Amino acid sequence: MTRTRRVAFTVNGRPVQAELEPRTSLADFVRESERLTGTNLGCEHGVCGACTLEIDGAPARSCITLAAACEGAHVRTIEAFDDDPVMEKLREAFSAEHALQCGYCTPGMLMTARDIVLRLPGADEARIRLELSGNLCRCTGYMGIVRAIQRVLKAP
Amino acid sequence: MSAAAGRAPPDPAPGRGVGARLARKEDRRFLRGRGEYVGNIRLPGMLEVAFVRSPMAHGVLKKVIKPRAKEDCVFVAQDLKNVKPIVAASALKGFKVSAQPVLATGKVRQVGELVAMCVAPTRAEAEDLADQTEVELEELPAIVDMIEARTRPPALVHEHWGDNVFLETLWDDDLSEVRKKAHIALKRRIRTARQHMAPMEGRGVVCEWNHRLEQLVMHTAAQMPHINRAGLAECLGIDQGSIRVISPDVGGGFGYKGILLPEEVCLAWLARTLGAPVRWLEDRREQLSANANCREHDYDIAIYADAKGRILGLECDATVDSGAYSSYPFSACLEAAQVSSILPGPYRMERYRCRTWSVATNKPPILPYRGVARTGVCFAMELMVDALARELKLEPHEVRIANLVRPQDMPFNNITRKHFDSGDYPEAVRRAAEMIDVSNIRKRQAKGESDGRRIGLGFSVYCEQAAHGTSVYHGWGIPMVPGFEQCVARLSPDGVLELRIGAHSHGQGLETTLAQIAHTVLGIDPQNVRLVHGDTALTPYSTGTWGSRCAVMSGGAVGTACETIGERVKAIAARLLEVSAKDLSFQGGFVCVTGTDRQLSLAEVAHVWYRKPQLLPADVDPAGLEATVGYKAKVDTGTFSYACHAAVVAVDTDTGHVDILDYVIVEDGGTLINPMIVDGQIFGGTAQGIGTALYEEMPYDASGQPLATTLADYLLPSATEVPSIRVDHLETPSPYTLFGQKGIGEGGAIAPPAAIANAVNDALAPLGVEITESPLTPRRIAEALLGKQ
Amino acid sequence: MKPARFEYERPQDVPAALSLLKNEARILAGGQSLGPMLNLRIVQPPLVVDVRSIPELRGFSEDPETVTLGACTTHAAIEDGRVPDPSRGLMRHVASNIAYRAVRNRGTIGGSLAHADPAADWPSALALLGGVAIIQNPEGKREIALERFVTGLFSTALADDDLLVALRLNKLSEKARWGYWKFCRKAGEFPQAIAGALHDPERGVTRAVIGALRGAPHVIADARHCDPAAEAARLCADPYERQLHAVALRRALAQAHLA
Repeated sequence: MTRTRRVAFTVNGRPVQAELEPRTSLADFVRESERLTGTNLGCEHGVCGACTLEIDGAPARSCITLAAACEGAHVRTIEAFDDDPVMEKLREAFSAEHALQCGYCTPGMLMTARDIVLRLPGADEARIRLELSGNLCRCTGYMGIVRAIQRVLKAP
Repeated sequence: MSAAAGRAPPDPAPGRGVGARLARKEDRRFLRGRGEYVGNIRLPGMLEVAFVRSPMAHGVLKKVIKPRAKEDCVFVAQDLKNVKPIVAASALKGFKVSAQPVLATGKVRQVGELVAMCVAPTRAEAEDLADQTEVELEELPAIVDMIEARTRPPALVHEHWGDNVFLETLWDDDLSEVRKKAHIALKRRIRTARQHMAPMEGRGVVCEWNHRLEQLVMHTAAQMPHINRAGLAECLGIDQGSIRVISPDVGGGFGYKGILLPEEVCLAWLARTLGAPVRWLEDRREQLSANANCREHDYDIAIYADAKGRILGLECDATVDSGAYSSYPFSACLEAAQVSSILPGPYRMERYRCRTWSVATNKPPILPYRGVARTGVCFAMELMVDALARELKLEPHEVRIANLVRPQDMPFNNITRKHFDSGDYPEAVRRAAEMIDVSNIRKRQAKGESDGRRIGLGFSVYCEQAAHGTSVYHGWGIPMVPGFEQCVARLSPDGVLELRIGAHSHGQGLETTLAQIAHTVLGIDPQNVRLVHGDTALTPYSTGTWGSRCAVMSGGAVGTACETIGERVKAIAARLLEVSAKDLSFQGGFVCVTGTDRQLSLAEVAHVWYRKPQLLPADVDPAGLEATVGYKAKVDTGTFSYACHAAVVAVDTDTGHVDILDYVIVEDGGTLINPMIVDGQIFGGTAQGIGTALYEEMPYDASGQPLATTLADYLLPSATEVPSIRVDHLETPSPYTLFGQKGIGEGGAIAPPAAIANAVNDALAPLGVEITESPLTPRRIAEALLGKQ
Repeated sequence: MKPARFEYERPQDVPAALSLLKNEARILAGGQSLGPMLNLRIVQPPLVVDVRSIPELRGFSEDPETVTLGACTTHAAIEDGRVPDPSRGLMRHVASNIAYRAVRNRGTIGGSLAHADPAADWPSALALLGGVAIIQNPEGKREIALERFVTGLFSTALADDDLLVALRLNKLSEKARWGYWKFCRKAGEFPQAIAGALHDPERGVTRAVIGALRGAPHVIADARHCDPAAEAARLCADPYERQLHAVALRRALAQAHLA
């Protein structure tokens, strides 16, 4: 039996102290311990992007991040963005442009979309597509997602 | 990539009914990460399951050694007493039945077959137990190649069969005349790779035994909950009422979740035995290594034509690699039985002969993936049409126009007696040719590219028979023949309409489109319509969501149920407003007296029914504002949607890489209930088709090991691989459905492999290269070119 | 796909880290390579040593000739120009095309180099650029030339008790030209062929590198008259692979004006 490890960080602005097995991924921690189930598991080997959340302000893949490695970090999941103005614009755009169908890739997709909008305000279609390529979607063919991001980038 | 998306979207239909580009109601929860997928369900005391799976493709199962001191946490076949194997037998003559034990018994027949079930408080610990469980297998020769499996089998998947053939079919005809008079005869061998559907969410099951209801309650990511219930009842030997199947939010299906799983049966048994809730969530490696189960076809095909390129006849030997077992409910007959009836598609011809085999191999059991056999037959047929065009030096789109069924032929019974309801196929091709700008592409090809890449143009046409009913599926002999679809409609005391349907929505937006239908019939605000689906306890029986049937079948049931409710509402309102019911109409949530401003809201009428029955007419229907109504389509043969896809590619002959420069689709889905959602289905299907065309394959080595077991090897197209797609719509209503709508959900995934292969072959024709195998990987293209040097 | 059990430690300095590096412990930096391997149970170390808190592995310094980057410098930091770039844009170009932004936010240059996946970018790019890897072990500090650092498939010059601490990279002169070309089947995935070329006349560098081979990257010390087809033929038996590597080298050389 391995020892459990105590780790402290913040999740969605709330301080969290947990005693966990070191092998626990951040994804499983937020989903199972914190009951924040918006972050989805699609591959658990860092390819599909469904698990994308924000660590210290930057998108990261929670399936290959150890919860134990997040000591002192600020983690934000999709649930933290209910009142975020940029995310609100993206939500409106995603809905208007039909950028989601089954919804499984959507939280991760929104995390990446928000990063694009904030970090690359001048991104053209090719650049948007490139930046999205780490988030797989099997339903939409990406058309609505690209248009939604373009819509937010174009808006005043 | 084109900057714009073709024509501007048409003006939205007024209002929020059929035809409107209404934003989806279900978006609200998904955009906030509040979807409830099966992996989000947590029950108190829940235990987690991991499976021990066969590392070998074919072998005698000698022994399973459970981990010491943990034997009571690991279960094998012998522990699952009275659990019957999964059997999906086709009614077709000569079909050989397979029995799939839910945990391997005697033999293992594919890599990934379930051998043992491990239970622990966490999934990680369950996987630890699985690692500690030893499986002793004696290797048998693996049956990997479907042609070899049939003609020179190294072993038998099911010994008692005497061969490896599930089913053989023959559509017979005499081609001797055609062979004699044809000006040209072309023969090809065409192959499509084995694939995986790869929805973003894997399968998953959460299951518990409810003592109060004496019922097994199973949450499972499923497309067809009533079918899962039926299958579970068969395997567990209990009545269907003892089982409640709930399909919650599901992260994509595409056919992958239209199946009774051995995992479901195992967990059902386990929940009952342990008296505790249990959970199993499929991870991606399990998915890829154990469940690459679709699309693998082999065609030996010949086409006969006259000097003008008119197709005279077609003959084909087609083989489908159906894997180790017949999956429930579609069975191992579906694709092979479909092939012969759909290969000719929308083309006219005089003679046609087709033999098919559904072959058993040591691979995962075949499941119908979006498009099913249509994708394979489109690939085969469309490659032949282009080969014909090249041979005769004709433009491929013109050869198509000359051979396709014409609008004046409609309704049309083709050579396999498929009944085409409506449409203008040549017009779709003409428009696609115009949108892709054929003459401009030919000029560009003549000029050559400064970077040395080769440009190519390819077309493909398909038709998608959808929402077909009883007689067609009975003819294909599938064990689960769909019947009639019902809807239970209930208007609540506050005027909210609840619709219960047996199908399930997992991305198609039924919560929105069916509300739009309700709006068209009753004028009710779609926000005041609640769809109940996915729960066998709450919904009428249905074979579920598959075969692009929901818009027609569930839509028909909803529309008809709303009409019934509407009549009842009018009868009550007529009494209250003291007019005749025929003077009433529905408008914006109200029942209005035509030509006046007198009206009652639906809520006001409902309030009278529920709270003031003393005001009801004396002859009121006591069934009130709740009705179970069935839908009967006018014909059993369903609808035919169709499209023409056209692609322009640039091939880097050094690396073999293919870039899609332009992609257009002209499609006809009849009346579009929500054009935005229809476009979404087309784009999504096309992206999957691009995956089939260029990226996705599951290769197996000689010992039956799958070689692409992570997403690093099984390549799914991302936003850079899928181009911007331009779509134009013809809308020829079907004469047979409630609003003229047709099933369209699969079409996008049918045409792209053919369009892209034709484009690549067009690019490489001057170099003498023709590729007849998908996916057209860079290696295949480059090696074909190297072979010509 | 959950990992097998392991212990986790996060030492705050180099000596503490070194004392933990025994008995098949694995070093964790960004976790973008180790994470999947743990989840797939490809590796099952008893202990994972997280080195991101160690000051010597973070930060950067600069002198007229070189730039030194801590081993835990992320690809994103290099991409964004948050650390000095000695390579006249080569490193920023390479960094910005590694995988995807979410991976680059965590993945580190030191981690990538030490992992030595033949299809990774840094082993090839750093062999091309030139410089040294600064390594510490209980005996002390030493340096290994970057073109000799990767020795084979997932193998480096690091011994079991070594810790890669930093990279000291040579600055290119103003007139230096570079080329870097890789072939990926899809955006962000591991490439099937990598080639780099560097022409720095002031320092007499006319170097090229071929990567995504089945072992260490192949450095061509003088690329001025090299024949890409011949170089590729020496390294690959498979005709398609030969072609890919030859094409990559040709294109990289052209970019660096060495063709």
